[in-house]
Amino acid sequence: MTQYRPAAEVGVIDRGDVVYVARLPQGPMIVLAGTAAVVWRAACTAGEGSVAQRAALDVDQDASAISTAVDEFLTDLVGRGLLAPIAD
Amino acid sequence: MSADVIERIPSDARLEMSRAGVQVIADRIGVRLLHIKGDMTDPRVIDRGFGGTDIDVLIDPAGISALHDELARWGWELYSSFRNNSSFAHAQTYFHPDWGHLDLHRRFPGIGLSDDHAFEILWADHAEARAAGVRCAVPSLTAQAVLLTLNAARAGGRGRTASLIWDALDDPARAACRALVDRLDAQVAFAAAHGELERFAHRPEYLLWKVASQGGTRTEDWLGRVRAARTLREKAVLVLRAPLVNTERLAHKLGHTPGAAEIAREFLERTARGARELIRAAGSRIRRSDEPRQVTIEDADPAPVKADDE
Repeated sequence: MTQYRPAAEVGVIDRGDVVYVARLPQGPMIVLAGTAAVVWRAACTAGEGSVAQRAALDVDQDASAISTAVDEFLTDLVGRGLLAPIAD
Repeated sequence: MSADVIERIPSDARLEMSRAGVQVIADRIGVRLLHIKGDMTDPRVIDRGFGGTDIDVLIDPAGISALHDELARWGWELYSSFRNNSSFAHAQTYFHPDWGHLDLHRRFPGIGLSDDHAFEILWADHAEARAAGVRCAVPSLTAQAVLLTLNAARAGGRGRTASLIWDALDDPARAACRALVDRLDAQVAFAAAHGELERFAHRPEYLLWKVASQGGTRTEDWLGRVRAARTLREKAVLVLRAPLVNTERLAHKLGHTPGAAEIAREFLERTARGARELIRAAGSRIRRSDEPRQVTIEDADPAPVKADDE
């Protein structure tokens, strides 16, 4: 399973209900709220199963129902230079 | 599910991210920073839930030019230069439309040691903290206590920061603070913060810290700076610059770059204000001719100004 970490020179502030992230030093600051924050944490935390499976536990959803959206979201974050995959 | 850019981000989150961004810029060019004051203050030193409106860093003086250039490259504009920022010419302020204000300190007011030696002493015992996950260097607990106390000395008699910090320290911690104050040659300002300035009435910095800690006229502030200057050259520069208008401050006051007429008007007002203060001070001295000669700040101006108000 692919693991992720914040990309180099990315600032992260986790305030519980929201996660603020930014590529530094240029920004902008991006707020991840609700499910987006849950997915960010799931992506950056080592654990069993896929990111969607770990996130599903926190949002009381079936992993299969959210996996496509989660994968698209992760791709978006990687594309923005905010997340970096960790090699298996 | 999407990542949104929002317009209203809490100021404390923005400041923390801003701090991290400045650290990243410094790391890229290998410049050492010590993050001071505000949210980087260890709550064991003082815990007041600092709000703060800017970020403060103390820079290795050797890196000022390089960081200045790099900040400019990332959109930070110079808001107020070292020369015009305060009586102590200690900090340079930058502004970024997304990240807010940055105070870049080349020295900390109250420290008599040269800027580079003082930085090395503070750096030698630095601790580590994080801003938005980015590793930042902060002064040691002892150094934080000393720096915040020195900072409190400029509060014009307001606040209880110095006593709150001192009361929270045990005897070994107090001894460590005193030792660091001696190493940094910061005894006068440290005494001013604790209401013991008169012990240092013989020191050249005395008047400067009397004005800074208790208030005084602009003329007394200027006189204090001249007396505290360590070299003849520094004194000469202060004397020659005295009547000049601080065009950066005037621009901030007016909201635009001042024109020649506005600078001339400010020059005349500034000169007249200085003359009035000197006349008042002279009058009070004549009235008090029987008393020992000393600066009488209260008599000189019924509305004292902070030392930072040039």
